[in-house]
Amino acid sequence: MTTATATLAPKAFKSELKPIWCPGCGDFGVVQALYRALSAIGRPAHEIAFISGIGCSSRIPGYTTAYGFNSVHGRALPIAQGLKMARPELLVLAAGGDGDGFSIGGGHLPHAVRRNQNITYIVMDNQIYGLTKGQLSPTSPKGLKTVTSVDGSLENPVNPLMYVLTYGAPFVAQGTPADLPGLVEIIEAAIRYPGFAFVNVQSPCVTFGEPEQQIKTQKATMESLEGMGHDPGNLIEALDLSRAYGTTLHTGLFYRSPEPPPTFDSLVHERQQRMMADALPRERILEQFIQR
Amino acid sequence: MSRSLVIGMAGSGGDGIVSAGESLIGACASEGYYAIMTKSFGSQIRGGESSCRVRLAVDPVLNSGGALDVAVVLSWDDFLKFGAELPVSGRAMVVYDTRTGVAADDLPLVGVTPAEVFPVPISDLAREAAGTDRAKNTVILGLLAGWLGIGQEATLRGVRKKFAKKGAELIEANERAFHAGVAYAEAHPTAESRKMDPATGSGAKLLTDGNDMCAAAAIFAGCKFYGGYPITPSTEVMQFLSREIWKYGGVLLQAEDEIAGIGAALGASFGGKKAMTATSGPGLSLKSEVLGLATIAELPLVVVDVQRGGPSTGMPTKSEQADLFQAVFSAHGDVVRPVLAPTTVGDTFTTTVEAFNIAEQYQTPVILLSDQEIAQRKEVLDPIDTSEIQLIDRTLPTDAELENYQRFQLTPSGVSPISHPGMEGGNYLGAGIEHDEHGAPTASGRVHAVMNEKRIKKLGPLHKRDDLFRIEGNENAPLALVSWGSSAGVCREAVQLAADRGLDVKLLVPYLLYPVNEDIYRRFFASVVGGLVVEQSHLGQLYRILRMYIDVPGGVVSFCRSGANPFRPKEIVAELRDLALGLQRTLGESRQPQE
Repeated sequence: MTTATATLAPKAFKSELKPIWCPGCGDFGVVQALYRALSAIGRPAHEIAFISGIGCSSRIPGYTTAYGFNSVHGRALPIAQGLKMARPELLVLAAGGDGDGFSIGGGHLPHAVRRNQNITYIVMDNQIYGLTKGQLSPTSPKGLKTVTSVDGSLENPVNPLMYVLTYGAPFVAQGTPADLPGLVEIIEAAIRYPGFAFVNVQSPCVTFGEPEQQIKTQKATMESLEGMGHDPGNLIEALDLSRAYGTTLHTGLFYRSPEPPPTFDSLVHERQQRMMADALPRERILEQFIQR
Repeated sequence: MSRSLVIGMAGSGGDGIVSAGESLIGACASEGYYAIMTKSFGSQIRGGESSCRVRLAVDPVLNSGGALDVAVVLSWDDFLKFGAELPVSGRAMVVYDTRTGVAADDLPLVGVTPAEVFPVPISDLAREAAGTDRAKNTVILGLLAGWLGIGQEATLRGVRKKFAKKGAELIEANERAFHAGVAYAEAHPTAESRKMDPATGSGAKLLTDGNDMCAAAAIFAGCKFYGGYPITPSTEVMQFLSREIWKYGGVLLQAEDEIAGIGAALGASFGGKKAMTATSGPGLSLKSEVLGLATIAELPLVVVDVQRGGPSTGMPTKSEQADLFQAVFSAHGDVVRPVLAPTTVGDTFTTTVEAFNIAEQYQTPVILLSDQEIAQRKEVLDPIDTSEIQLIDRTLPTDAELENYQRFQLTPSGVSPISHPGMEGGNYLGAGIEHDEHGAPTASGRVHAVMNEKRIKKLGPLHKRDDLFRIEGNENAPLALVSWGSSAGVCREAVQLAADRGLDVKLLVPYLLYPVNEDIYRRFFASVVGGLVVEQSHLGQLYRILRMYIDVPGGVVSFCRSGANPFRPKEIVAELRDLALGLQRTLGESRQPQE
């Protein structure tokens, strides 16, 4: 099935659909980075399946030439996992926003992590609900005033990086369209990683986002983990650094398990091979109910 | 001699009553009898009271039967807790442990005097023969084998098999307990012979329950993915598949919740594989958003709902047929979603395969509405001939169609060839958002209307599927029964009983509940003056759905009640008789000479 060719240009992954995103939306950068990463990977589009939920960012599969599934709110991960179990030979990507992944679909994330399928999950985290026009999101900072928190949010935001690290994800990274080459590199590394790879992208909302979250500010303030000398094999250090989520924009690789654990898909394959030997033929399945 | 017997047993959790029932039905099956076994428990996880009913017969058994012919009581307190589930009739023999301290002429039964009463020192026999009280259930098997003449060798074989892993000592102890029971029965013969007629059926029989049958059918149909979450009374579907599906190249996911279970199954179907999830009412409520997604994304999916008493947690271990509205109407928008219902353990096989066929052929989610009664009862049945069963796979695009592929192409039938990831040229965007023929999202009212029409039109052929209905009885009969699910098995016996009593009744059993095949009901009702739509729910949900689509004759009324205790054939005949008499009176009045 896998036919790796190095000749696929980034534009081979760009579909004819025109994005609905507002001009200047960070998600344009994410999809550009994805085209380049997929070009570097070299798998043809029909061997790639891209699953998303609902939200501005969940429109992204339609802007690629891969098989896409823009599903329902919060359910990208279960659908992606079922697909990957059914067709482990595919390159499976999942994507969505912070509301999709950490709020309505938040219950799925720890389980997707612990199953450790070879899936890359990209969250476009803009700390706001954009599609529904500017309500509080699970990553909105405490005190944020929005149309549903007129006097300011009373809740602490979730820390997606720390969550996913503590769930046990073997690959955790953060990027931003403010550093496009860096984002390409992160997404490509995530796809190449043999296991569940989580990429949080601080993708600003130009319409409802805060001024300090915009590309210009990000460019001025972001800090490269590599530049800081962070060792991505050090989980404790990664956890420590993840505490800065919401205050400092760290980019790059937080954690990559130096010894990738076996994936769910490889364990399934091993079990199937072992058990197929003593199966009744499918047409004779009822024989096991015969009472002798 | 008897052609049919209903045996009911009750005791405390540790007494092994259900295990005795399982040994008994196993022996019946190897002897060539037909049988149905149901079990019932108190609400405790462990301990508490437990009971089972075994109905065995020379002829195929259609339901779990009415009042008991034989009652076995290890504890009267426990037995009486089951009330309507274990009714003792005047023709019954009652066997009870003398250790209960109850006098034979002072049984705690109200308004009924059983034909024969046997106080038996069951516990003492067990201790003497096996050295432990725990062999009480094996003594009971010996008593029943002795009194009812059910194969001793077959019962013993079952007992040996059960203790095979526990060592020779335990096997021998139980053999002694069994023989002690047989000897006691032979020394104390019944006044009236209660021996079963010899079984006439030849050849091996199948013994299983509806949930295992459903799971086996899924494998037969080529199901390669199961995603689900444990929920009573459907969990055995997942348990069976967790042992089996891998052997057939499939995968099973015990998901983190009901939504993930159906989501993963839908993902597998998007990947081109046959997929299933199973649940009960509360789980179906949670799954409904993804059901809607499967409809608009036009993906095949089989969703099993093993109904239990509702709403909410309701009665998880009791049967009810009150999820029909949910199956038909859940998920928003203009949707037609096929709903099928099996009526016995045996036809759960063909109905499940049909669910896969319809799902694949029409690219739609299909709900299989089983119910606790058939899902968890054990049934002895004849082997099923599967050689003629056709399996349908989804229509893939041809190479020519992949040239300029349109996933949701408008075709005369409404069904569009479906690709899946991995197929070159078949790339498309699947979506819950409304889309055009290519799959591109749209907010056009015109496209939305066209696509709604496509998705509903493609199911049109289902309205003509007369083969998904069973009709019995004289086609010109003025009286009628309509029933579905486990209640249909009761109605089939009621029709025979009614015929014996001179009532001219016919029966319609839909396996396809929705969409409604208007024609078959119209034809069926053409001769009908009066009848009952029999279903185990408070509202009578099928009756109400039929009235949405068909002019149901005025004399046809709903005969329904809330779940837990199944209908009995006799009460249906009695209701039908009352209905007929009422219609007769009206007819008589209308024929009075006018002043």
